Amino acid sequence: MSAVAKLLASHQPGAERLRVLSASGQLGYGIAAESFERGLERRPHFIGCDMGSIDPGPYYLGSGQMAAPQAMVRRDLELVLCAARALDVPLVIGSAGTAGALPHLQATLMLLRVVAQAHCLSLRVATVASDLPPERLVEALHSGRLRALDEATPGAGLPDETQLRSCSHIVAQCGSHTLMQALRLLPDVVIAGRSCDTAIYAALPMMLGYDPGLALHMAKIIECTSLCCVPGGRDAMLAELGEQDFVLESMNPGLRATPSSVAAHALYEQADPWRVDEPEGTLELHQARYEAVDDRRTRVSGARFCLRASPTLKVEGAARVGARAVLLAGVADPGLIALLPQALTEVDVRVHHLLPGPWQMVPHLYGHGAVRPLPESQRSQHELGLVLEFLAPDMEQARTAAAVFKQNLLHFGYPGRLSTGGNLAFAFTPSECDAHDSYRFVLYHLLEGVDPEQVFVVDVQDWAWPENAT
Amino acid sequence: MAASRLGDRMSVAGCVSPTLLKQVASVVRSKNAGPLCLTIDLFFSRRCDYELAVASTGLSTQAVAALYSVQPAQVRRFDLPDILAIKLAMPRALCAGEPGDGDVYGAQQHAPLLEVSL
Repeated sequence: MSAVAKLLASHQPGAERLRVLSASGQLGYGIAAESFERGLERRPHFIGCDMGSIDPGPYYLGSGQMAAPQAMVRRDLELVLCAARALDVPLVIGSAGTAGALPHLQATLMLLRVVAQAHCLSLRVATVASDLPPERLVEALHSGRLRALDEATPGAGLPDETQLRSCSHIVAQCGSHTLMQALRLLPDVVIAGRSCDTAIYAALPMMLGYDPGLALHMAKIIECTSLCCVPGGRDAMLAELGEQDFVLESMNPGLRATPSSVAAHALYEQADPWRVDEPEGTLELHQARYEAVDDRRTRVSGARFCLRASPTLKVEGAARVGARAVLLAGVADPGLIALLPQALTEVDVRVHHLLPGPWQMVPHLYGHGAVRPLPESQRSQHELGLVLEFLAPDMEQARTAAAVFKQNLLHFGYPGRLSTGGNLAFAFTPSECDAHDSYRFVLYHLLEGVDPEQVFVVDVQDWAWPENAT
Repeated sequence: MAASRLGDRMSVAGCVSPTLLKQVASVVRSKNAGPLCLTIDLFFSRRCDYELAVASTGLSTQAVAALYSVQPAQVRRFDLPDILAIKLAMPRALCAGEPGDGDVYGAQQHAPLLEVSL
């Protein structure tokens, strides 16, 4: 009997609370083993991990690369898989490999397989692929089923057909409905491509008959592990879910889940503190109540889930802009600092003349408002950090542009120049570096009028190893 | 806006020092809420500080819009008296990671608020 089959057959709401252990909010950056093991001592009914996000930008979705280093992903997977198998409880992992597109799902699955084989763990693994071919979006665009998330936001308009087709990967965030589909295949482990963080923790409780509002609210809070505590942390978090409420407790004894720290977490990375949109409906938090159980635990109740007439899916897509080389340098001469924007423009014209082509220089002038626009009075007059991005169709051209630009800026003659030895300070050479490819988001939109079962591909595979394997 | 800024500075130079947000807030943080939206959370430890902030024109949607170069109608503000917090949400100038964006996570966009006088 698989771990999911066992849980579905043995657990009944009301008989005892469902203990949910959130092991990681970003699998692959090092799960704190001590707190996780303390969580295991509490005999969780299942273990969940979130592995991805759109936060790190369009590169990971576009390129298919994982953000977390592979060796640490493997280490974390080993920790959670071995624990889940030792307790014979389900393991649910969402947004595999950072962005949750097919290459991310495959890379995560491959690492999990390596771990399973190394430990001779035979298991049944359900997978959810979240990818959409551009044609599906083109069709949705033409039939008016693609919508901007916030119509008031400039730049949030609809992409055109060419832009949609330029995406290297397009994914949709699957919800609890889809993870329940995967769980119905009775696996030991679920690995989902791009998924709502909430679905990882809410799907199993909902299958067991728990209130969707409570299950989703619990999921929303624990998906970041102990970030909802004071002080916040990355340690495993335990939720004990009942029929009327759930109780939150960090597995690090130094971190306290207080009513205000938990309530405050509802604000985190959310534009609206009262509403969380899910594919199948909206989680309403107006009536949520937070009460202290003791100084480290908080009881939460009152959230409501309102079903939507038809599901909407959040879709994400990224397209390649070009190859990127960066030039790193410092400027300390106040005369040049004052003239730098003009100097960059003049050098840009000169270098474009020397090296014709579709390359582009994007300046980041640290000390002059690279992070945010700075008023004149706050701009640095005595030291400036330059990060110049060179974007071109290929790395060879980006690198060439960076090198030629560097030399021309280094010896650029400007009015009043006293420092004829050179205009730039390099912390190291070569000061121009290859910086991967540049991608941009083309899609961060809502797809309406779709059947999730026609979008997500749910599958299952059985892994068995010979007993004498090592 | 320039006039009121000047007024603040004069009062610092004079005798009445205004209360700055950074002096009374326990948390001033910014972060993306999706790649198109920036959200800012302000937390306070004492109710009197929260109430001062809620009532201050320095944190009105108009003032915040001016500080971030967006339209006042694009700034959403939520006052959360139960947890002594104010939430602001507004569109990002550039989609996260777009060439020219200087803060992919949006985690350092809180800075202009630190010096707001309440």
